[in-house]
Amino acid sequence: MARRSVLGLFREPEAAAKAVESLQANGFGENEYEVLTGTPYPEGAFGEKPVKHRLYVFPFIGGISGLSVALLLTIGTQVTQPLVTGGKPILSLPPMAIISYEGMMLGAIIFTVLGIIFESRLPRPAMGLYDRRISEGFVGVLVSCEEDRLGAAERALRDAGANDMKHDTSGGSRQ
Amino acid sequence: MVSHEHAPDLTPDRIAQDGLRSLLVSGPRFFAAARILGALFALGIVGFVLRLRGGFEDRAAWGYYAGLFAFLLATVGSAPMVAIGLRLTKANWRRPLARAAELYLVGGVFLFLLFIPLLYLVPSAQGRRTIWFSWPNAPHLWDAWALAMLVVCGLLVLYASAVPDFASARDSLPGGLRQRVFAWLACRWRGRQRQWAVQRGVLVLLGAFYFMLLVLVYTLISSDFAISMVPGWRDPLFPTYQALVGLQAGVATVILTMYLLRRIGYQEYLGVGPFWSLAKILLALSLLWFYFWFSGLIVLWYGRQPVEQNILKLLWYGPYLPLFLLTAVLNFVGPLLVLMWNPLRRSVVGPAIASGMILVGTFLDRIRFFVAAFSVEETGVALEHVPPAHLPDGIDMMIVVGGIAGALFIYLMATRVIPIMAIWELREGLLLRARATVVRLEAIVLGKPS
Amino acid sequence: MEARERLTEAQINEDLLGPTLRTPRWFWPVAGFLALVVLAGVVSFGLMINRGLGLTGLDRPVMWGALITTFVFWVGISHAGVMISSILRLAQAEWRRPVTRAAELLTVFALSTAAIFPLIHVGRPWRLLYWFLPYDFPRMVWPNVRSPLIWDPAAIFTYLSGASLFVFVALLPDFALARDRTRGWRHRLYSVLSLGFRGSLRQWKLQAIAGILLSALILPVFVSVHSIVSWDFAVAMSVDGWHATIFAPYFVIGAVHSGVAAVVTVMALMLWLFGWKRYIRPEHFDSLGKLELAVGIGWFYFFFLEVVFGLYGLGGPDLAMKQMQLTQWPWSLLFGIFIVTAAFIPIPLWMFRRVRRSILAMFLVSISVNIGMWFERFLIIVPGLARKQPFAFSWGTYSPRPVELIIVAASFALVLLGLLLFTRLFPPIPIYDMKEGQVLHQDLQVGRRRVPGIVRE
Repeated sequence: MARRSVLGLFREPEAAAKAVESLQANGFGENEYEVLTGTPYPEGAFGEKPVKHRLYVFPFIGGISGLSVALLLTIGTQVTQPLVTGGKPILSLPPMAIISYEGMMLGAIIFTVLGIIFESRLPRPAMGLYDRRISEGFVGVLVSCEEDRLGAAERALRDAGANDMKHDTSGGSRQ
Repeated sequence: MVSHEHAPDLTPDRIAQDGLRSLLVSGPRFFAAARILGALFALGIVGFVLRLRGGFEDRAAWGYYAGLFAFLLATVGSAPMVAIGLRLTKANWRRPLARAAELYLVGGVFLFLLFIPLLYLVPSAQGRRTIWFSWPNAPHLWDAWALAMLVVCGLLVLYASAVPDFASARDSLPGGLRQRVFAWLACRWRGRQRQWAVQRGVLVLLGAFYFMLLVLVYTLISSDFAISMVPGWRDPLFPTYQALVGLQAGVATVILTMYLLRRIGYQEYLGVGPFWSLAKILLALSLLWFYFWFSGLIVLWYGRQPVEQNILKLLWYGPYLPLFLLTAVLNFVGPLLVLMWNPLRRSVVGPAIASGMILVGTFLDRIRFFVAAFSVEETGVALEHVPPAHLPDGIDMMIVVGGIAGALFIYLMATRVIPIMAIWELREGLLLRARATVVRLEAIVLGKPS
Repeated sequence: MEARERLTEAQINEDLLGPTLRTPRWFWPVAGFLALVVLAGVVSFGLMINRGLGLTGLDRPVMWGALITTFVFWVGISHAGVMISSILRLAQAEWRRPVTRAAELLTVFALSTAAIFPLIHVGRPWRLLYWFLPYDFPRMVWPNVRSPLIWDPAAIFTYLSGASLFVFVALLPDFALARDRTRGWRHRLYSVLSLGFRGSLRQWKLQAIAGILLSALILPVFVSVHSIVSWDFAVAMSVDGWHATIFAPYFVIGAVHSGVAAVVTVMALMLWLFGWKRYIRPEHFDSLGKLELAVGIGWFYFFFLEVVFGLYGLGGPDLAMKQMQLTQWPWSLLFGIFIVTAAFIPIPLWMFRRVRRSILAMFLVSISVNIGMWFERFLIIVPGLARKQPFAFSWGTYSPRPVELIIVAASFALVLLGLLLFTRLFPPIPIYDMKEGQVLHQDLQVGRRRVPGIVRE
């Protein structure tokens, strides 16, 4: 059966939270609905469970990559052209430490940014079901489910006091 | 995010009861601790007398004594900075730990007494390269004056902080000698608006002064008792490095004190929140340890000048290399590895382990600098020969153990007079806190009066 | 914090995004003027390429003058951005909200401008192209990694990349907002830039983590960059007044000192030019002023240590150099200007609440700080070089020529122009951050008084 989506728009966050509770009561799973807001609310404001992510892996991988590249550059270049400058050893640890440190931090930051974008499930080529009023202060509750359960979703949203509802025309993807 | 707040079911009366408990009742654990610390303190005094019999001619023999003094300055002298700094920045989570940190200010007197023999060991600034440039009576008078000002300022801060709690003790005791003592200490405190305003002003102003005086004392001690003892050592970074390690050790001291307080029954006041917040600061200070050390190293290392190489050899990679490596692990690598993991950072045990490492590392760090500096006998413009490592003898060990035990003993005695929880500060926290809901989230609102 | 009015999301959108979407009337004349100044700088640079570095006042032994001073100055200014943004985020200080993006932008533009200066200073910049493309692999000619002049580009590149990426990630929600409120080419631009950000709870959570994690990662970089720039001077043996271990933290705290003042300047300009009275309030300047007070006193302590230990060795050249700096014309005048404008005026003034809460006073004091800090860098670099060699016959002096002064002025214009042009496309105050501040703001009743409060989980 095709997956369909419906977006309920609520002027008050309280109503949106009621809608979420109603959806949960009607057996909709966490991966079937989504709350869209134009303002960051504190975690748990809509009764959701903490988001699971693996963002912390990214800085480590990035840091190790950056460190390796920097060490390769510094060690490799100095070993191929061993020119003593200022009486310092060919492989001088303090300068190598500086450049390796910068390389490590650059790698960590770049990979962290990539990780943030990736873990946010971005970039998203198609916006899917969305409404501009969400960034004006409305809270959107987007439900994606099998077509036969769509009616129950719509009822839950309407009963909670949705100010407007939008449907997608064909099987819209959720995330 | 974990709440930084203490248990929600505290009431003002509960706080007063828990806070005054230490004043009114001394249990068996207290007496046991007092006996042990007192005995070790006495051992230290014996060691000191033995060392005194050798006179002040042999400066190298007093190296460990100087290291002990510097270590106590870093711990006992700097731990109050946690309370003062957090009060200045109006951080709400300071409330359960502020008094425990401030109580170390009583150790200031002990610190000053420890300092007096050191004055006999440092020669006058006339004709030597020092930061005093032949200023009269330098460095003895001015170093003593700075330390005295620090101690007096600290005691005033502690007194100002304790007065409302003395009043609480005065009001809750039925009568008798103790009640009269607290009444005298409370100095007619009635809790009037004007009195609170004066107290707040004193705490802020004198707190800021304490910080500036502490940095001044670090500068003077590290310049006069380390840098100027080693010919050719010209290092403006060293005083700030000492201040930084001191702050790091101060935070570590407070964390361990908090850990102990949890063990004796204050778990409700000291949840994970304060540990987590202090752990973040400790991580930053540990990273800064590396930064300050590296900044000093790169400038002296780069030019390959013989004098500077000798200085580096004396302090880092020469006879005291094992101490340096241990310090690097205990003050930097260890805390970094422990505190960079979120679950460990956001716990009680993680910061406590890191703090323990840092305290040992700081002690070794102080030994490394001051014993090395005191063991240099050359005078002149440049260091020609690096003296070998000066190992501790039995008397040194007695002095070190006794000194640390003495500071802790004084702290322990002070807890019988000043409550270890700042009753007024915790009650103020209750006033500025309320429950709130944000849609479906149960949260707390913290008031921030301007 | 003071009790303040509640604003709706729509109102915040209109107030903060409006000036981006509708160009204010003063904009193009001001931008045009700044562009002219930048053009004058480009022309001067062109003249330098055509006629050689002799057009500047540089000559043996003073090979680094106003241009390198300005390089260090802009690297310094770039520091405050990240420091304010990161440290205030990590400390969860509420007053950071309108300040963070402006500070981060100042970092990016100041650092980009700073990066241009070594290229200008090289004299024959096209040789860099020959040097780079292709790199001299066959003859194994590699950069000397033991030189601080190689550490500099590593640090500045890392910091610039990091700060730019940080700004980009923090802009994603505002790109999404702009996408929702525009049509035509702007809508297409913001759609691409927002990467499809929708405001799901997952995306907001990751934004929050991004703020904290990137702040924690970029803070060590921020400390390292100006330290590395300071080591350009500190590791050198031959120049009096340069060889001091304290240069690294001294420069960093000096950078924070001048950078926070620059942020105050930018905030005041934003308030006056865009009329954001509801969002940039006296309490923000009060908090910035307290931060500046602490940093200023700390900086002065480091400066004092540097002077005392500079004289410590009682070496002839060191004492003579300091004497020249303080008593000999024109260095004495420059020193007087520096110490008065960077320390003796600002630091006492910041102790007074009335000054901190007066936006005009804070603006003027911040300009004073930056004038002083430019001279501070000048006085570190030039007098030492003037007496660099041991023999008096090779001593020299230096005074900047018009070509250099125009380029220095053009750098100021370039930074301001960059900031202004940015506001044409993107909002300089983080809109979602201000909205979050509204959500987290609740009042408490304490006795008869309503106390503003923050929601904490």
